[in-house]
Amino acid sequence: MIINMLKLYAWSLFLFFCCIFISSSTILLADDDGVDKEAVFGPGDRKHGYDKESYVTNSLSVTARKGKQADLLQFFNEIPLGLPKMKLPGGSTMTEEKISLGRRLFFDRRLSLNDTFSCAICHIPEQGFTNNELATALGFEGRSVKRNSPTIYNVGYYNVFFHDAREDSLEQQVWSPLLARNEMANPSIGYVINKIKRIKEYEGLFEAAFDGKGLTMETVGEALSSYQRTLNSANSRFDQWYYAKQEDALTEDEKAGFALFTGKGKCSACHLINEEYALFTDNLLHNTGHGYAVSMGIQPEKTRVQLAPGVFVNVDTEIIDSVRQSPKQNDVGLYTITQNPFDRWKFRTPILRNVALTAPYMHDGAFTNLRKVVEFYNQGGVPNELLSPLISPLNLTEQEIDQLVAFMLSLTGDNIEILVADGFAAPIGDIRTQDPNWAHDSEFKTE
Amino acid sequence: MKEMLPFKWARGAVASALIGAVALVGGVPTAVQADETCMSPYMAKIVGQEDFVYVWTLGVEGMGDEQDKLVTISVNPDADDYGEVVHIVSVGGRNEAHHSGLSDDRRFLWAGGLDSNKIFIFDVHSNPREPSLHKVITNFVDKTGGMVGPHTFYALPGRIMVSALSNNVDHGGRTGMAEYTSEGEFVAAHWFPTDDDLRGADKTGNFADGYGYDVRVLPRRNVMLTSSFTGWSNYMMDFGQMLSDPEAMKRFGNTMVVWDLHTRKPKKVFDVPGAPLEIRCAWSGTNNYCFTTTALTSKIWLIYEDKDGEWQADEVADIGDPSKVPLPVDISITADDQGLWVQTFMDGKTRYFDISDPHNPKQTYEHEIGSQVNMISQSWDGKRAYFTTSLLGSWDKTGKDDEQWFKLYHWNGKKLDHQFTIDFYQLKLGRAHQMRFGAYSLYSQAPNSSDTMLSQVEQ
Repeated sequence: MIINMLKLYAWSLFLFFCCIFISSSTILLADDDGVDKEAVFGPGDRKHGYDKESYVTNSLSVTARKGKQADLLQFFNEIPLGLPKMKLPGGSTMTEEKISLGRRLFFDRRLSLNDTFSCAICHIPEQGFTNNELATALGFEGRSVKRNSPTIYNVGYYNVFFHDAREDSLEQQVWSPLLARNEMANPSIGYVINKIKRIKEYEGLFEAAFDGKGLTMETVGEALSSYQRTLNSANSRFDQWYYAKQEDALTEDEKAGFALFTGKGKCSACHLINEEYALFTDNLLHNTGHGYAVSMGIQPEKTRVQLAPGVFVNVDTEIIDSVRQSPKQNDVGLYTITQNPFDRWKFRTPILRNVALTAPYMHDGAFTNLRKVVEFYNQGGVPNELLSPLISPLNLTEQEIDQLVAFMLSLTGDNIEILVADGFAAPIGDIRTQDPNWAHDSEFKTE
Repeated sequence: MKEMLPFKWARGAVASALIGAVALVGGVPTAVQADETCMSPYMAKIVGQEDFVYVWTLGVEGMGDEQDKLVTISVNPDADDYGEVVHIVSVGGRNEAHHSGLSDDRRFLWAGGLDSNKIFIFDVHSNPREPSLHKVITNFVDKTGGMVGPHTFYALPGRIMVSALSNNVDHGGRTGMAEYTSEGEFVAAHWFPTDDDLRGADKTGNFADGYGYDVRVLPRRNVMLTSSFTGWSNYMMDFGQMLSDPEAMKRFGNTMVVWDLHTRKPKKVFDVPGAPLEIRCAWSGTNNYCFTTTALTSKIWLIYEDKDGEWQADEVADIGDPSKVPLPVDISITADDQGLWVQTFMDGKTRYFDISDPHNPKQTYEHEIGSQVNMISQSWDGKRAYFTTSLLGSWDKTGKDDEQWFKLYHWNGKKLDHQFTIDFYQLKLGRAHQMRFGAYSLYSQAPNSSDTMLSQVEQ
């Protein structure tokens, strides 16, 4: 019992540092499986404290990114504490073969027009299955995506997908990035299907996974969805405290944070918690004023730009604009889908589980840490004619803000190491000489 | 694939090719020859007039054939087609064409795509006026175990060292360099030192980021040097967007690494904050130092061997006004080690520094080449300097400031004198990036591989 308590205490301390990224003095340890326990929490290129001249690197090598394949089906069949049973689309089933195939597709960089982009390059396992290093995503040839890559932890619990809810099926959703010209840029559905057919590693896998049905638009969607529906992560310290009634699972500050989350802070009005489970989302879209502020905001004359550890300059925005390839993309949220003027600047409520691992925050990654998010809501968002009635000034004290943040840091699931290590073990599909490419089919020699 | 422009055969005055005799002491060449001043010392040298400049050019969506290409420009003033584009090889795709480098025998030009990771090997010896695509390496990422963004192609005896910029797991800056045979066979991957795996190197300061950019050698001191830039997510990002993204701006290299050239083992990791890019080493047999410039912090750094035989890194000069981020990019050292050309992208200037005291460089001249400027290549005698514009496809200026050209200037030691300009946009070619020289003389005197410097050494 004492050992367990000590472990719990150590774990809580560790997660605290995780959320603001890893301490520079961390010592690296590998377990018996060769999996670096700390490599799974945050980018290996650790930048905590980079704003100070005293910054010291604590970088991890890419080659040490070793993993271990997991039994992913268990995370669907044996739902972690705090989550409900997951619903599948009619007629669909989950099998190891589908999950394994979806996992292979998810990490395959050949599934893009120029063989450089997989799903996992924007949803990076050790970066919370999002990208901690970019506010907004980049796609094919570096083309700008106007939104932050959402985490895919627990993505199977959403009813709607993308920040603007333009899809309501995970099977359909997976095709949008494959075909978007600023993401994976494949020119057509047929192009993707035919390319996968010509990659040897996929021979027979679709037939085996789908009762002989083979490679189709539907089976690609179902395979990728099957993998993503296993990335379920709960049984956090919060869950152990709230649902398993382990009184010591949370600190007093975290408990106070929970009281604020469900009370004065009004967070749970959208980030729902009920008596059986907590999704921390209402699967709805709201106008918090952040999108409005970005759309209507006036640019500052100077932008603070970091040049090196502890070195900043204020650069004329005019100079920055001289090298901006295209104007910053405007984003009106749900309105883009419905054309309903009352839907302007509404964005989907994100699931907050594992939020310590998924910085930066908001639909455009504008806030680099959770404290800034809470401060935004504490001021009542940004007033506008369509501001959600659920948003208003909270009058939280500095201590209460800290407590709210502390509570959110307790939402990290207990199987993160397993899921990330499984991602590390997944084969990365990089182009080889036997793969389809004009250079392999031509008169020219290829290597 | 291959497009011929109007052909005016004119063999210019032939430069003399000098295949240097090399003696090996403990495997270290004690005398080496070189070409234009930033090239590998293991290479044959054009000491007179070059005939061609090969410009590795980025395709632009919506312009011409939209794809990357090797553009050959006739630059011998005795040629009928002097100052003209005489040949183009389009290679398919916008690969983020960036740098290129010649094999030690100068028969092949390796040119990389920072985005597609393809390496295009051109035959430049069969007909120097009309290079042809000889081979395409498509599996660089797979072979290297995950390196992305082949950048510098640097000739070592029988080898090409390819430094990379990124990796295939997060598109960040941790990376390494790959060693190939001159024939294009993968040999080995050398990852840059990180804190968890310094690979025997001494972390002399606060940083060991594992980032990469350029690679250069000082064979007489058995030293190899590497520098550090940023990963795919930044070098492919809209420059204006990146400058406004505080997380992205944390992802730049702050290190240089001194390696044992022969064992390929890192020895020392130096703090050189602010993205040290190009490395240029002195040529004189007693000048044991190299220069680099930091793109973000706008400094010249000297990496040198001190009197005790220890390698050190010192910041030795500012470039322009660092607070205005002039963004120093390409640099070029003169063959006599007395001058260093430094391009600053944002103000389109080239700046000449007197480096006769390498610890105290002084700017003595500057000239605005255009609205933006990146690369410079100077002839061995220092009399001719060629300039091009493009930095990266997503970093170049926009609107009227997005000039894309190739320019030749003559340098008399005091001022630059403009000779001609080729407008790459007007010709629908794309963005002009790195330049390499070609000359008939190299192959008329040494047409077969058995005559190369390396083969002579082996014999």
